[in-house]
Amino acid sequence: MAEEVKKPEEVKKPRKPLDPNSAKYKLGKIASDAFATAIEAKKQGRPVAWVSSNFPVEIPETLGLATAYPENQAAGIAARGAGERMCEVAEAEGYSNDICAYARISLAYAKLKECPEQDVAMPDVLLCCNNICNCMIKWYENLSQELGIPMIMLDIPFNPDYEVSDAEVAYVSGQFWDAVHQLEDLFGLKWDDDKFEQVTGFSCRASRAWLEATAQAKYTPSPFNGFDLLNHMAVMVTARGKEEAGEAMETLLKEYKENHEKGESTFRVEEKHRIMFEGIACWPYLRATSRGLKDRGINMVTTIYADAFGFDYNSFDEMIRAYCSVPNAINLEKSRDKRIKLCKDNNVEGLLVHTNRSCKLWSGFMAEMSRQIGKECNIPVTSFDGDQADPRNFSEAQYDTRVQGLCEIMEANKEAKEA
Amino acid sequence: MIQDTIRKFHEAAASPRAQMEKYMAEGKKIVLTAPVYTPEEIIHSMGFVPMGAWGADMELNRAKEYFPAFLCSIVQSILELGIRDAYKGASAIVIPSLCDTLKTLGENWKYAVDDIKFIPMTYPQNRKPDYGIAFTKAGYERVIRDLEELGGKFDPEALKESNKVYNAHNAVMRRVDEALAAHPEITAAERSDIFKSAYFMTKEEHTALCEEFLAELGEAGAEDKLAIVVSGILTDAPQLNGIFDDMGMHIVADDVAAQSRQYRTDVPEMDDPLQALAVKFANMDNCSVLYNVKKPRVQWIVDTAKERNAKGVVVVMTKFCDPEEFDYVMIKRACEAADLPLALVEVDRQMVHFEQVRTNLETFRDMLTM
Ligand code: SF4
Ligand code: SF4
Repeated sequence: MAEEVKKPEEVKKPRKPLDPNSAKYKLGKIASDAFATAIEAKKQGRPVAWVSSNFPVEIPETLGLATAYPENQAAGIAARGAGERMCEVAEAEGYSNDICAYARISLAYAKLKECPEQDVAMPDVLLCCNNICNCMIKWYENLSQELGIPMIMLDIPFNPDYEVSDAEVAYVSGQFWDAVHQLEDLFGLKWDDDKFEQVTGFSCRASRAWLEATAQAKYTPSPFNGFDLLNHMAVMVTARGKEEAGEAMETLLKEYKENHEKGESTFRVEEKHRIMFEGIACWPYLRATSRGLKDRGINMVTTIYADAFGFDYNSFDEMIRAYCSVPNAINLEKSRDKRIKLCKDNNVEGLLVHTNRSCKLWSGFMAEMSRQIGKECNIPVTSFDGDQADPRNFSEAQYDTRVQGLCEIMEANKEAKEA
Repeated sequence: MIQDTIRKFHEAAASPRAQMEKYMAEGKKIVLTAPVYTPEEIIHSMGFVPMGAWGADMELNRAKEYFPAFLCSIVQSILELGIRDAYKGASAIVIPSLCDTLKTLGENWKYAVDDIKFIPMTYPQNRKPDYGIAFTKAGYERVIRDLEELGGKFDPEALKESNKVYNAHNAVMRRVDEALAAHPEITAAERSDIFKSAYFMTKEEHTALCEEFLAELGEAGAEDKLAIVVSGILTDAPQLNGIFDDMGMHIVADDVAAQSRQYRTDVPEMDDPLQALAVKFANMDNCSVLYNVKKPRVQWIVDTAKERNAKGVVVVMTKFCDPEEFDYVMIKRACEAADLPLALVEVDRQMVHFEQVRTNLETFRDMLTM
């Protein structure tokens, strides 16, 4: 393993074609097919929906609506280096650069209707759910105006309490069926209970496999590099209601288990430290942020995403409660406890927090929450400034200094423990 | 005479702490109400004095331990004041989750200010259908339970009365707004005081003072000023209003969250006053934090500007307020389409230097008077 550290990454070997039976291949295919399928549907004159990442996918999947996910698209555009260009298009329209960069990229796309870094099918309807943020409401309202198409709003408010109330379940359930009926009327579709049951089965299967796969980080060393999760997550966003997703996630789980048995890992250097990464990835600097950790032997073994797509439920009410309990919809205490559990289950030694300029909700109580997590888990906490998609809000030098600082504390802690 | 009344508005607007202490000395309990909307009628009916907490123009220090710099300064300064004991003695603060920043205020409040209870008010965005009204009502019931823990008593009859008190205040505020459109001699600073003082006085007192003011207003003023409509969340900065006045601008209508947006909708007459209050929320609209895919607010601004013969619209943007930043693009386009000149100025509760605002408004004035 030590040799690998020394080998400069710049010496590129020709890439081996991926094994079509590998999880990486399957997951990559599902993610890219998600865009292609909607483009194909559009060509055939079938309706396409743009959907927010935590909207109940059970609705479009059951109705057979083709879908595209603007957040996913924006992440792809940012990762391929076009975040700034697209943001500037939106800013020229009058959108402030304080607005979430995903929204700016998406609104720019609504105007240009093309972006070679990641094209999507243009929508006939917008499916908005604000369980991750209210910014989503404003973004989709504007898309609806810009594109002249209907918007269906499923409101899942931020829950200030630890548990989901019956009143909230009733409110969201009412909207769920309203959304279904509106879509039936708009496109002449028909709800089918058997199909719904099948879709929920797929979604639960994918969720269970995802939860279990990410939980394999309980082993030291971890059988995977946590940055893998940031990529594989796209499938949980866009395809968790599809059969292939569950199958691919199960392959991933199998591979992680095998890695552990064989003492292998997709984290290809010696795992000296294990951290939790908090926040959305800095897509424009994925490589830089990943290397900053890897070069120091730091494996990001877990993130809240490991818990975020746990849509495993046994009844309609439980499904609604799951959608009411996604990470950005829950209060500080519940958010904190979920993270403490992840840190403890996965033997985390440090917490690295991305203070994301785009995301007010995610960053707004992160300082207090991470203080509490650090205290409870007795681990150091460090944050850096960045942005998930606008490259102008990240400094590699600051990131490096902060990671170095975190690394030194973790080292000192380790020495103290060993002494 | 009228100057006395105007001075009273100013004193209340400029000294919320003194007002708070006055009420506490009378043995009353204070419940703070955060932006943008809260069920003040309920708080009032349970025997508390609701007082607006929209922050203050100040430097932020302690709030930085909780908030990153890119959250609006209204919310940051509310927390700063809380930490610095400026609200000391208040029993609770009601914070609605109407925007992402407000959601995080409540969460931080619990740890930053432990002697003032945080009471969340969760409003639905799909507020018009029956299930939305039921959810609003459930949110109100939650507020009632929390206020009961603080010694308040809920009585539907008392709420009926409070609903009337608030409707009367709404009505008088609408009359003030209309009257001021014909009175250019009342300055922007004075107009701001009239609206701002409403947050620091009981509604009964404020209604009475407004009635006095209206009676004293007299004939419409003849001053030749530049009629404008102002839109935004908050426009109470003295420097900002000073600049409006220096530029000879006359605010003939406002679409300001802290001003007229509060008073557009009344509680309807119904047997169940709590249900009626939930229906009021369902009927509210024309606001950046209330979902409406058609954004009628945009047309409202254009129509109102025309109705009141405004020469232009000034959007006062609170820095980092994303709900308003999204709407701005649509407002800008609608104004362009209607041939209505528009200016954008950015403000912030930490702002000390207003040169940029002055320059922008100077240019705007010159353009309008050319
Ligand atoms: S990054 Fe934050 S603000 Fe932007 S869409 Fe996601 S949750 Fe909403
Ligand atoms: S100013 Fe804007 S961001 Fe700040 S609390 Fe008000 S609505 Fe929210």
